[in-house]
Amino acid sequence: MNKRILVVDDEAPIQRFLKPALAASGYDVLTAENGRQALHLIATGAPDLIVLDLGLPDMDGKEVLEQARQFSQAPVIVLSARDREAEKIAALDLGADDYVEKPFAIGEFMARLRAALRHAARNEKEILRFDAGGLSVDLERRLVSREGASVKLTPKEFDLLAVLVRHAGKVVTHRQILAQVWGPAHVEDTQYLRVFVGQLRAKIEPSPDAPRLIQTEAGVGYRLCGGE
Amino acid sequence: MSETTRDRRPDPDALLALTAEERRGRLKVFLGAAPGVGKTYAMLQNARRLKDEGRDVVIGLVETHGRVETAALAEGLETLPRKKIDYRGRVIEEFDLDAALARKPALIVVDELAHSNPPDSRHPKRWQDVEDLLDARINVWTALNIQHLESLADVVSRVTGVTVRETVPDSVLQRAHDVVLVDITPAELIQRLHDGKVYLPETAKRATQKFFTPGNLTALREIALRRTADRVDDQMVAWLRQNAIEGPWETSEHLLVCIGDDETAENVVGAAARLATQLNAAWIAVHVEAPDGASEDPARLTRLDAALRLAERLGGETRRMIARDGVAEVLRFARRENVTQIVVGRPRTTLWRRLTGSGFVAALAAQAPDIALHVVNTPEAPRAKPSVALGSHKNIWPGFVAALAAVAVAVGLGAGLEAALDLSDVYMVFLLAVLACAASFGPSSAVIASLVSFFAYNFFFIPPLHTFTIAKPQEVLSLLVFLVVAVLTGSLAGRAREQATAAGRRAHDLAALYDFSRKLAGAARLDDVLWASATHLQKVFGAAAVLLPRDGELQLRTTWPPDRELSPGETSAAQWAFDKQEISGWRTGTLPNLPMQFRPLSSPRGAVGVCGFTPQDPDHPLAPEQERELAALLDQIALAIDRSLLIGEAVRAAALEDNDKLRSTLLSSLSHDLRTPLASITGAVTTLRQFGAQMPENDRDDLLASIEEESARLSRFVANLLDMSRIESGALKLRHDFVEPAEIVRAAAERAKKVFANFRIGASVAPDLPFIRADAQMLQQVLFNLLDNAHKYGGEAGAVLHARQEGETVVISVTDDGPGIKPADLQRIFEKFYRGGRPDGRKAGTGLGLSICKGLVDSMGGTIEAQSPAARRRGTRILLRFPAVRMKAEP
Repeated sequence: MNKRILVVDDEAPIQRFLKPALAASGYDVLTAENGRQALHLIATGAPDLIVLDLGLPDMDGKEVLEQARQFSQAPVIVLSARDREAEKIAALDLGADDYVEKPFAIGEFMARLRAALRHAARNEKEILRFDAGGLSVDLERRLVSREGASVKLTPKEFDLLAVLVRHAGKVVTHRQILAQVWGPAHVEDTQYLRVFVGQLRAKIEPSPDAPRLIQTEAGVGYRLCGGE
Repeated sequence: MSETTRDRRPDPDALLALTAEERRGRLKVFLGAAPGVGKTYAMLQNARRLKDEGRDVVIGLVETHGRVETAALAEGLETLPRKKIDYRGRVIEEFDLDAALARKPALIVVDELAHSNPPDSRHPKRWQDVEDLLDARINVWTALNIQHLESLADVVSRVTGVTVRETVPDSVLQRAHDVVLVDITPAELIQRLHDGKVYLPETAKRATQKFFTPGNLTALREIALRRTADRVDDQMVAWLRQNAIEGPWETSEHLLVCIGDDETAENVVGAAARLATQLNAAWIAVHVEAPDGASEDPARLTRLDAALRLAERLGGETRRMIARDGVAEVLRFARRENVTQIVVGRPRTTLWRRLTGSGFVAALAAQAPDIALHVVNTPEAPRAKPSVALGSHKNIWPGFVAALAAVAVAVGLGAGLEAALDLSDVYMVFLLAVLACAASFGPSSAVIASLVSFFAYNFFFIPPLHTFTIAKPQEVLSLLVFLVVAVLTGSLAGRAREQATAAGRRAHDLAALYDFSRKLAGAARLDDVLWASATHLQKVFGAAAVLLPRDGELQLRTTWPPDRELSPGETSAAQWAFDKQEISGWRTGTLPNLPMQFRPLSSPRGAVGVCGFTPQDPDHPLAPEQERELAALLDQIALAIDRSLLIGEAVRAAALEDNDKLRSTLLSSLSHDLRTPLASITGAVTTLRQFGAQMPENDRDDLLASIEEESARLSRFVANLLDMSRIESGALKLRHDFVEPAEIVRAAAERAKKVFANFRIGASVAPDLPFIRADAQMLQQVLFNLLDNAHKYGGEAGAVLHARQEGETVVISVTDDGPGIKPADLQRIFEKFYRGGRPDGRKAGTGLGLSICKGLVDSMGGTIEAQSPAARRRGTRILLRFPAVRMKAEP
């Protein structure tokens, strides 16, 4: 059965190319022009993934996200502008899975979409292994190796890596990482992250100065690449 | 910390004085006992030596009086050219202060410190010029004869019999960094005089010959020597303080001088200053007045002010106190300040005081046996007229006439009532007359009425009638009692009236001030404040002006009368008042010949500006109550100006904030309007590239169409932006051709129909429309923008273009059938980046379209206006109006 994608955007030109592109890739497409329609379709149409523009005419995109999360766990990809960073982060913290900045090329958009769909297919808790780009991680046995050689990590470094592995391919905000590794009291202490991510890169990246595995999403968070 | 170490710290005040001194130039005074002792020679000799050492020495002004040796010394030293001043047909050569300030040498030599400048100079006295030089951090050398020192002037004139007119305040000499005594013996000086080596003006020769006696010269020399020695002591004490060397440097003597408001006050101050200098003592001048006894007599207040000012000039402190018991207050103060000696003027002895031993001096002596009391001699002043009791200097004639009239009426009334009344009751009628005079004309009139009543009663009512003799002895007694009662009640009632009048006057002044401050409080804008200030000042004084600083320069902001302009001299006096925070102009030390006086306006935040006014009576200084009123007014004005400036700053800050808001609106609008078409184009292109092969034909065509449309939208937006910036920078050159409106309307409709395919556009044009002057292309752009807006906001129903004539104007309108514009928004839709509808403005385009339209229409000489609703409570109509051009259309 084809996956069903809901595209929520009030700009007709965006709908105009997303619809045929998604259809050509073998997805069923639902469209909504405003928040009310979107929530209705999420509840009744059971989409497998939601593409959500944050600037909607009738209500804030974040509000749509918040309400949708109460009854749907479908992955959400947010469409947003580069200058609305705070909005982007807030959406990710509210449970969006990824974001794409306008303007975007359809290829990148499709890749994100596929990653999100695949990720959703498995429960986060089930992700216990990561194996890509020369790095392999076994969360259950707490083993990390690079190119076959074992890598020694401190407990905090391992916890940090574990968070990224569980969300491999997706962006994880600073807040989310800090809350999971250091606890809710430290969600503002991004300087911890800089230090530990640097240490982690030095241990697992082939060339830490040009990181390929742990990528920085400037001002937003980090993303572990090369997974799935 | 032990007592000793704390005492050994340098005295902070002394250090402060030192730093203040270092910020100024240094003054060196060559002090002589008399002319001819060789001050100028010594000064030039020293200056030469410094010059030879390579120092930057300039001669500002030196009087060689043709003495060859002196002139030879001056040669080879740079000499500033003198300023030539035309004074009453004569050309006077004077010291050029401005040139000296501009030249700014390290050291300047300016002779004759006590010299008086000709009228219209910046300062009346040369020592004031020198102060300016010192303020500009120029070191100054100057020469001074001891007789010109202010505190010694009267001593010198008493000793030598020559009146000294040109004086220099003692404070100048006190602040001098160095004092060099140029001394020769009197015999030598007299010899030099005989040799013709001492310059004396021809006219003054006889008088001065009298001056150069051995006795005089010895006395002057002694004074000069003693003065210099005092200075040495002072410097020693100052040095000890600055360097925290332990005593015994504390001067043990502390002088207090009591001054009154009589003619001798200044003499008493002078005597006290001399005594203080001899004792090397600090001193303070004190005036005590009774709480209800504030003298209303302006002459007395002026004298008191003058005496207190003199005390300050002579280096004393001053204090005014209000107390019921003057003696007790003075002694309380004296004990607190550790005063060791009290100076008072010799009181005028009266028979009463001699008999009772009462009086201020006697009381002081009795109550303070521990404090030395100096009673100083004062020249016998002309006895003040005892007119105070009779109502000071007021015109007493109306009171006098009234007294006579009142008594006459009383006589008539008494005669009429005599039959009915007892003789003793007729007294009451007269008493009534006295009281009436007291109530209407004050105590003087009452006293006169009492006396006249006394005689009239005797003459008309006491037998034998029509004589001043009295038959019965008891009548004499009752008549005398009547006189006493009448005088007492009359003068009491009169005084009560005077006090009531004075209170009324004060209340009136207060009311005026209150009124003014209320007016000021209501004026928020700076211009209102200035205007209110100038008009009020002008009401109280003569013409008025307010100047405020802008970029460091004072600028005239308001004058009243409005056409009053400031002369160059007035402008520079105002600048001086602002720079120095001192009063300048009329009757001051700076440019005193100006008709206007300038006072600095200062608020707690610092100097605010300068206020100028012309006095109503230019020949007399301001009366003390005027002075008080002026001070209060200026305070109010300064505060109000300060407040309105603060408000202005707040408004500007708010405007900046608005600007920021506008900028962020602009940014988000730009980013949205650029990004949306770009996102569509990028998305469509990449979709075509990636999925084009698998797509049905229809979808591919649709994507290509969307790319085309979005590109057009993008280019319109960019064109709009460019137009806007060209309009704003004035780079847009519009043609002013004769244009046929119908043609433009049709062309715009055609173009819009092409772009907005599914949008119905109607066009109707009235026949025989006149030409208008416009830029055809730009007008078409305007109409297109309006149709674009109608398309965006105006709903599906389409829009109508219409052109018609209305009187002398051609009206072109664009009407849509949309939901319309809220009345509140109607005015704002032509503002840049203002968009109707949602604040987020997703659908609303650039927010530029209408403002571009307005810019273009304005520059083509037309007007633009929006109406909403247009018809049947729906729709918006934009109206363009252009003047019709009467020209016969070519057949």
